Amino acid sequence: MLKLEPVIWGLFGAGMMVGVLLFPAWLLVGTLAVPLGIAPAEALSHERALALAGSLPGRVLLAAAIALPLWAGAHHLRHLAIDFGGIARDALVGSLCYAVALAGTVLAVVAVVRL
Amino acid sequence: MSTARARIDSMRPSRPGPTRTAPPAMPDQFWTQGRYRGYVAFGACGFFLLTVGGLLLRAVWVLGNGDPAAWQALLESWANPIYVVFHAVSLLALVWFGLRFFRVFPKTQPPKIGPFPRPPDAFFAVALNGAFLAATALGVALLWGVLA
Repeated sequence: MLKLEPVIWGLFGAGMMVGVLLFPAWLLVGTLAVPLGIAPAEALSHERALALAGSLPGRVLLAAAIALPLWAGAHHLRHLAIDFGGIARDALVGSLCYAVALAGTVLAVVAVVRL
Repeated sequence: MSTARARIDSMRPSRPGPTRTAPPAMPDQFWTQGRYRGYVAFGACGFFLLTVGGLLLRAVWVLGNGDPAAWQALLESWANPIYVVFHAVSLLALVWFGLRFFRVFPKTQPPKIGPFPRPPDAFFAVALNGAFLAATALGVALLWGVLA
């Protein structure tokens, strides 16, 4: 895993930045304001959501917004596990965390291609 | 004061091999003490990055199914109080996480970035917080339907 560390660090740093910049707006409008009726339902109607997400910039942004924060989250949780449980199980925990991030990345690419 | 030269090999181990006597370990209850609380909370925000990313993946997947009723059902399911609380907590946690990340960011930068010297901390503060405000405002306007 040491050989992959620079790559994982790159994904981790990019994931923190992307997650911090993009998630608050999505959480505020997409998961709270629209479902609770504070924002107009037409704002995220199927037709408009598909038009926004299905454009080329939309697909690229969505793929990055899904995949990169998964790597950041996985890396954070791996290091939290080291702090709490020691280094002994790092190979297993680290592999598990990054496997989740890798699977999510593949699914994210497939999801935006399907749009 | 002695002027004798230091014996640089005085601490050399008697046998070659690892010299560390015990693996590094955090002190007991470290996460309850001082700055460790913020450090642990910052690391724990990885959970929100993972789950919000996962839920966004689910939303994009449902959108790609091409079924307007399924998309509508997904949005309506998020009005469930459990989802509302989870998303509200995620929002607060990630905003706090971001502001802490921006505060830590300058300290992680090397003295020279490429051919240029590292900018002052105030530059990073203005640039990162400004980018956060601009991206959030733009995202809200776009998703709210204010922008076409």
